[in-house]
Amino acid sequence: VIIATIVALLALPLIVLRGRTLVRYYAVDAATWLFAWLLWRRLVDVDPYLAFVALAVVKLATFSLFLASGENVRWSANRAALVAAVVYSLTIPAMLRTPIDGDEPFYLLVTESIVHDFDLDLANQYAHLERSQGGRTDLVPQLGDPTGPHGERYSRHEPFLPLMMVPGYALGGIYGALATIALFGVLLVRSTIRWMEDEGIAGAAARAVFPLFAFGPPVLFYATRIWPEVPAAFFFVEALRGMREERVKRWLPVLLGLVLLKLRFVLVAVGLVASGVWRVTRGSWRGRRHPVNAQRATRNIVLGAAILIVPLAIMWFVTGSATSVHAWGEILPAPLHRYVTGLSGLLVDGMSGIAFQAPFYLLGLFAITRWRETPRGFRLGMLAGSLYVLYLLPRSEWFGGWAPPLRYLVFLMPVLALGAASMWDRISRGAIAIVSAWTIALVIHGLAFPWRLFHIANGENAVGEWLSTLTLLDFSRFFPSFIRMNGAAWVGVVAVALIVAFGLQRPRRMERGSSVAALQVSVLALALGAGIDFAKRPPSHVEFEDAHVVNKGGQLYPEVYTIMRVAYEGGRVLEAGDSLSFLAREGTWTLRAITGLGATVEVAGQSLHIAPDPRYQTFTVRIPKSGRVTLRCVSGAVNVDRLDRVEGQDRTR
Amino acid sequence: VERFRWILAAAIAALACQLAVQQATPIDRALPFLALVVTVLAWASYPSAMIAVPLLIVAELALPDESTRLLVLGAIMAAVGAQASSLPVLRLPGGGPAGSQRTGRLEACAPSACAPLVAIAAILLLRWIPIENVRIGRELFLLAIAVAIVFALGRTPFAITVAVVTALITPAVPLRTLALPLLVLVVAIAARTFGMPALRLVWPSTIVLAVPILFFAWSGIVARAFPYFLREATPPQERLVVAQALAPGKSVTLGVPRGARSLVISGANIARLRRGAPLGSLEPGGITMRIGDAADWGYMRQEQFYAARNPLPGDPAGMIRGYGYAAWLDGAGRVALPAGARRIRVIADGSLPPDAALQVEGFE
Repeated sequence: VIIATIVALLALPLIVLRGRTLVRYYAVDAATWLFAWLLWRRLVDVDPYLAFVALAVVKLATFSLFLASGENVRWSANRAALVAAVVYSLTIPAMLRTPIDGDEPFYLLVTESIVHDFDLDLANQYAHLERSQGGRTDLVPQLGDPTGPHGERYSRHEPFLPLMMVPGYALGGIYGALATIALFGVLLVRSTIRWMEDEGIAGAAARAVFPLFAFGPPVLFYATRIWPEVPAAFFFVEALRGMREERVKRWLPVLLGLVLLKLRFVLVAVGLVASGVWRVTRGSWRGRRHPVNAQRATRNIVLGAAILIVPLAIMWFVTGSATSVHAWGEILPAPLHRYVTGLSGLLVDGMSGIAFQAPFYLLGLFAITRWRETPRGFRLGMLAGSLYVLYLLPRSEWFGGWAPPLRYLVFLMPVLALGAASMWDRISRGAIAIVSAWTIALVIHGLAFPWRLFHIANGENAVGEWLSTLTLLDFSRFFPSFIRMNGAAWVGVVAVALIVAFGLQRPRRMERGSSVAALQVSVLALALGAGIDFAKRPPSHVEFEDAHVVNKGGQLYPEVYTIMRVAYEGGRVLEAGDSLSFLAREGTWTLRAITGLGATVEVAGQSLHIAPDPRYQTFTVRIPKSGRVTLRCVSGAVNVDRLDRVEGQDRTR
Repeated sequence: VERFRWILAAAIAALACQLAVQQATPIDRALPFLALVVTVLAWASYPSAMIAVPLLIVAELALPDESTRLLVLGAIMAAVGAQASSLPVLRLPGGGPAGSQRTGRLEACAPSACAPLVAIAAILLLRWIPIENVRIGRELFLLAIAVAIVFALGRTPFAITVAVVTALITPAVPLRTLALPLLVLVVAIAARTFGMPALRLVWPSTIVLAVPILFFAWSGIVARAFPYFLREATPPQERLVVAQALAPGKSVTLGVPRGARSLVISGANIARLRRGAPLGSLEPGGITMRIGDAADWGYMRQEQFYAARNPLPGDPAGMIRGYGYAAWLDGAGRVALPAGARRIRVIADGSLPPDAALQVEGFE
């Protein structure tokens, strides 16, 4: 794989770069290899895999820079697709360093069932998991999976994706299945670039946006793993292109493909059809030379609406229920605060929000703030996806569950990329530099540690956990969490909203833009520096399951892989002799804990007896001095949830 | 307003780095200074190069291992320095490919000031850490000569590199070593006077400049023993300390610890001996130890290097001491032990100067 990567990195520029730009790229490439060699000779204690991945990604970023700003570039959607194909084919082995996870093994199991048994019954697959190429012998049917009258076990997942993976799997096993998804990724890249051309995006902007879209999260990770998200994104883009071009033969089949992939995409299709209806009722597609025959358009829309029934019928045929594991009640409105939480989380949550997990798409959100100036395709796409997003927001798994980040929004990313491309010349260069650097870091992290793309919903994220573990300081508190609300959450929402609305705008005059970009990056650096400085101060809120807490004994509660773990309270279960230590500020605190047996704990040297109670209890404890505090279970057993410093103490002094 | 914003950006970047300092080495403490250097280089090239400042902060926070952290800081600075030094060619009249347009370019820095600024920033980075070792008068004089070299050679990347490398290898102690950059300046002026064109040599110059910046955390060693950085670093090996100094003609018999493969030796007061001069011998086997197998223990210090004639030991076992331009490597070297020997006899050569000594440091 290393040799293939080196060869591919050498070959990539030949696809698109020419003349002086190509020569200059190779000069930089040679210099990079030289410096990498020098560094490698001097670095003693470095993970070689991580180092190679980092080098490969930096080289890809360098190539992208030349692609975006080079003078001699041969650019087309097909060339972009070819570049994407090379990169995705190298990414697949990186993703397979650990067994596939989340819904992936179930999709593969269905594929294997189709290939080997010509049915969708997984009972024999579960019985002989060692035969599956997924490498997951620990699989059990998911909660609520449909069953048949004769003991059949069906997957809750729609069979269309496994069906599409059948040829690939038959040819190359799991690699063939993954290649099928990657092929959809390549098609998605091609379609998106073509769509940008259709919408009048300048070639320079498309070239600049292309790597951030195709080789950045989440598209890169979903294009090389077994999820329906990237095929869905491809179908969605094609449907939008078909709608824009009024070619029913184009959008109707892909819309059918979209809704067959996942039942939830019916909401997208409804949005798309509704957008079409709205436009038809207005009489014509504005801006077209020839008004469309309204009667024919209406007929097409009705046809489109009719295909929404297909996935329901298929699910009913397979599982006996048209909605599978879903209920019609799910379409009823939820309380307003859940929409606010979901939307805020999708924007800024440290584990699952756009700002931290795919910052490039903040530029797409910036385009929303300039709605009237965006291409029609962007507006159509955003409107078509809005119903789906509206139903996603209040769901308890808005963050995507056990999956790489932003799972439920992947299909919308080409639209946001189009928005970003349309605004490219108006976006600050400082913001682009920051977004690019963060994207590079995310890609290195995801490729080197693919298992970390999956994160338990505990209110922390990978960066916060890593820094907390490294320094034993609570860094996670600086990353907004809407999974477990923290102090940074609403501050983060306001900050990101302000940045999107005002901070990304490039000054009109180029000369002014230069120093503004420098200033923007400096302000980010100051935020980082201030955060590090502030992190040294003991916190006033301690969650006992967090990474900065040093555990001596005890067990995490609930267990890591508990379904809907986010819905549980509790932190760590301590028995006699177990202890936790953490930094805390002096003052009065409240300890939240539950015990069914009764327990005696010692906090900062003070003994506290906790009587048995089926409910969580709150106790007041006093921490005499800021610094490292130990909480020890002296006798019994207790589940300690968190410590909160009583507010207002500093003011009363 | 433009300049004020740049000054503000520099101040904010320095403050950010000051807040982020986590470790205690002079390089870590110089993080705000690095931020200022980055700002100057960004001003002279692309404003987006300021992204190096948050990267410096992240490296400072996330890499507790000292050598890894300092190397990564060096890599960040080298990247910024390389891109900044390669730009002046495109700013000069007639420079760069015909009709070329670079988007995102900064126009704040005047072309005439850009190349000298890059040279000054690089020299400050390589010579002014740690600040307490800086002899202000000599260093300012050196900076002035470097700027003159840049102008003399036509403000090209090649000119920047010649100026920076000249400044780097000038010990400045004793004072007469400042004749070296003056000589380079005279040669440069003479060459240009006699019709030498303003050489650009963009890529070689950029690489030659970036290499010392990569190792700026130990720039003193880069200046005085650069080949050391081309060798593969090995994890610190267990050393069984002997710590015996042998006067000329004296000897000592030592038991070889189990598993030991090499004897680590150095010298005292032997800095003026040249390569190949005998230091002593090792029995059994009659192995002769020479200058080149080991060197004077402190020959690489900035104050002693000009007078020293020792080369870097073939298999250096010395430890890196100090940081920045004050960094040096002690002159210890490894000599392979005779195969199967249980006891060895180390004999200091009788021809060593009377005040010299062969130092047996230990076994590895």
